[in-house]
Amino acid sequence: MKNLLPKFILLVLISTLLGWGSRAIGLNPHQALSIAIFSVSILGTLFFWDFRLSFAFLGASVLLATRTIDLDNLIKFSSLEIILFLVGMMVIIGLLKDAGFFAWVVSLILRIPNLTAKKFVFSIAIISALLSCAVDEVTSIIFMVAAVLEICDYFEIEPVPYVIISVLATNIGSAGTVMGNPIGILIATKSGLTFEDFIVKAFPLAILCLLVMIFLVLFWYKRSLRKLDQRMKELGSNELLIRLISVPPDIQTKAALSIFAITLVFIAFSHRLDILLKLENNTILLIVPLVVAAFVMIWKHNKAREFIEKDVEWWTLLFFLLLFAQAGTLKYTGATDVLAKKIIDITRNNPQFLTGAILWLSTVGSSILDNVVLVAAFIPIIQGFQASSVNLQPLWWALLFGGCLGGNITLVGSTANIVALGILEKEKNIRMTFFRWFWVGLTVGMVTTCIVWLALIFLPFYR
Amino acid sequence: MKAKEIMTKEVVSIKPEDNAKEALAFLFKMRISGLPVIDDKNKLVGMFTEKEVLAKILPSYLEKVGRFMYQENPKAVKQKITIFHNMKVRDIMRREVVTVDEDTALCEIARIMLTQRARRLPVLNKEKAVVGIVARGDVVKALFKE
Repeated sequence: MKNLLPKFILLVLISTLLGWGSRAIGLNPHQALSIAIFSVSILGTLFFWDFRLSFAFLGASVLLATRTIDLDNLIKFSSLEIILFLVGMMVIIGLLKDAGFFAWVVSLILRIPNLTAKKFVFSIAIISALLSCAVDEVTSIIFMVAAVLEICDYFEIEPVPYVIISVLATNIGSAGTVMGNPIGILIATKSGLTFEDFIVKAFPLAILCLLVMIFLVLFWYKRSLRKLDQRMKELGSNELLIRLISVPPDIQTKAALSIFAITLVFIAFSHRLDILLKLENNTILLIVPLVVAAFVMIWKHNKAREFIEKDVEWWTLLFFLLLFAQAGTLKYTGATDVLAKKIIDITRNNPQFLTGAILWLSTVGSSILDNVVLVAAFIPIIQGFQASSVNLQPLWWALLFGGCLGGNITLVGSTANIVALGILEKEKNIRMTFFRWFWVGLTVGMVTTCIVWLALIFLPFYR
Repeated sequence: MKAKEIMTKEVVSIKPEDNAKEALAFLFKMRISGLPVIDDKNKLVGMFTEKEVLAKILPSYLEKVGRFMYQENPKAVKQKITIFHNMKVRDIMRREVVTVDEDTALCEIARIMLTQRARRLPVLNKEKAVVGIVARGDVVKALFKE
């Protein structure tokens, strides 16, 4: 309790100062209050992670009680469409887990023929990135860490470098599609960017970052890799492991795999279907997981409740819902329009400077803060730039990549890092120190962000 | 019928500082799946059960990953069993224990057992000291007797 009090005082102080500061630069009382309350939610997640939902509940209540926003608009800005998309995806992932899909994927890694250290690094990095693209970073990392620990146990080597590689790849891969990270779908729905836009523009850039990351870690961990190669020679590669683990996909796994493949196909063609059916952008994208989840719950009707109650992360989703509503209040009161105008004045409407500023601010910010909180704060500001006829597309990509790549810098930078290190501590009693992560995370984070920066500024494709 | 009428009064217990391996051997010897852990002040501090032992030696992410495939007798489990041999009961025991009072009614005990998935409930007196233990079998027998 003694430790909490200074943090609480700091939270109140910063939020009050931000509120007063906003009044001083000419914002009206409602605008200043919405900024102060949103900053309480941001700082609440930073200082009191376990209590974040309480802060979100209180913040939304104060906004309603002070008439800063009305109930209709609070509901409108809570972005129920994103929450429903995430619910649908979580049910589908629940089915995949239940049917042993991930066990099968992990067994594929464990059974790579003629395994070498380099092959192992390439495999875990590429599969981590692709899996996080297709499902989500948190689900993906649990299975990848499980696979890494199995291999490291078998060869009796230290798992830390390989867990770090898997997490770095997961965070990079999560920028590749709308499903990789909640910020992907958040940016897609608010910007109008489609799944196709992500595949054509974000995915190649994520793959480039991934390849660069692999070469960096091959150099960084060359001693560990040499040791692994040595152990593989002593134990005869993973031939024995291949014999020990045999996971032929059963009928359940095959059926779940087919359902997932159908989901991905429909998501991939969602924009085409939007055009064909004359629907608003991303309508089909938001519908697909719901329709598939509905069929999953009919097929597995005995487990339908379990999918909804256990596999859907209601705690997180409720937090997102109220966070989006609070971020929307910034837009509703016009606070972010004023801020956007001031930023445009300061940067003299220089698009390259704006892109760089958003990319680096979101990279540094998401290394400390939850990236959803950060992106939710940035979105109404970027939307506010529209009034000054700024081309928003590079700014959206900058926000997406900053939010995902920044997570690699510190060990608390993303949920995937926290989950992976939690497993490492429980299973191996290894407590990661801040700097053991930081130097490799910072190098990968900075280099990959520079690649994205150069691409956004110099490639006309991204403008 | 109340808890005090159906409970077993001679409570066999272990101490938090006991060796976990010996405590497990004691469970096998007694042919039971769990025991209350009581400290020197006669206060209930946890439950040591086979379930907690399994949770300690199997991977912690099992619940999150759903179905998973392992090697036969993975090295990690063997290592954890070796570590387990040197652990104390306090490192393994479950700290949140559902308890009942001496005057808790039979149906309420049955409800708690069913909803909390408890196989046995320690019975506490007003001073919060353990005075007995009610097993699921005691409750079923008493219900049918009534």
